[in-house]
Amino acid sequence: MKKPSKISLLVSVTVIFFVIFYYSLKANNKNNPNIMLNKPLPAIELTSLVNTNLKQELPLINRDKYYLINIWSSWCVPCREEHSILMKLKDKIKIYGINYKDKKTNATAFLNKLGNPFYFTGSDKDGSISIEIGAYGIPETYVVNSQGLIIFKHVGPLNKKIYLRISEIIK
Amino acid sequence: MRNIFLIILFVFFIPAQLAMASAEREINIYKNIRCLVCQGQSLNDSNSDFAVDLKKVIKKKIINKETDKEIYKYLTERYGDWILFDPPLKKKTLLLWALPLITLIGGLFILGKRLVFHLKQ
Repeated sequence: MKKPSKISLLVSVTVIFFVIFYYSLKANNKNNPNIMLNKPLPAIELTSLVNTNLKQELPLINRDKYYLINIWSSWCVPCREEHSILMKLKDKIKIYGINYKDKKTNATAFLNKLGNPFYFTGSDKDGSISIEIGAYGIPETYVVNSQGLIIFKHVGPLNKKIYLRISEIIK
Repeated sequence: MRNIFLIILFVFFIPAQLAMASAEREINIYKNIRCLVCQGQSLNDSNSDFAVDLKKVIKKKIINKETDKEIYKYLTERYGDWILFDPPLKKKTLLLWALPLITLIGGLFILGKRLVFHLKQ
């Protein structure tokens, strides 16, 4: 059998090196906002926005088939944009709101004016609850199943397309 | 006099040194964490809401005596390895780290073989 030439050996080694470097570097060089997807929702305790004596622990196991978590604030413009979609979703799924770094008076005024889609609204005064569940900012929406797994996550305001997708998931 | 000096040392100097070491550790952690909502900034350089919130969480963890490893694990579980400027060694990137070493050993082996061949001649 003919021995491989030095050039073909060099080309093969270079190609192997390139492929290894390409895939190894590619694996680690971008942000993946869906890292929490299909993972259990970390345990959090929400304190009610309106009554500090009321608490709600999440995740809820074997209670509802699905429930939704939405991080919002009265000062966040995109939250105002997505609010009508949350109002539509509230008839289909229980929504737990996390009110991010907001004033109680502003938050309640916001809900009184635009409607309250939340089954329970907890306050996240210092942003630590949002960090606990792996949020980037507001608004952010999670769909959690009865086993406490995050099965859908959306960073940014909800839109019609996302509304249809969530409706499809929870059908 | 000596006792007074020792009291001053224990009351003021040692706690101050400990606080400085803790602050330095805190800043080193912030410098190794990427602000995911900013353009190429570390947590230390950013005052975005995300960075401010994360700094508070990390500070709490330092006060609770969690190790750097535990803090990084908490963050990568929620935000992936991309949040760290200095990512941990993983199976996926292991070959990448090992490749230069493999190349060096391979090169030395070929060189050694040739040297032996030339010496025999």
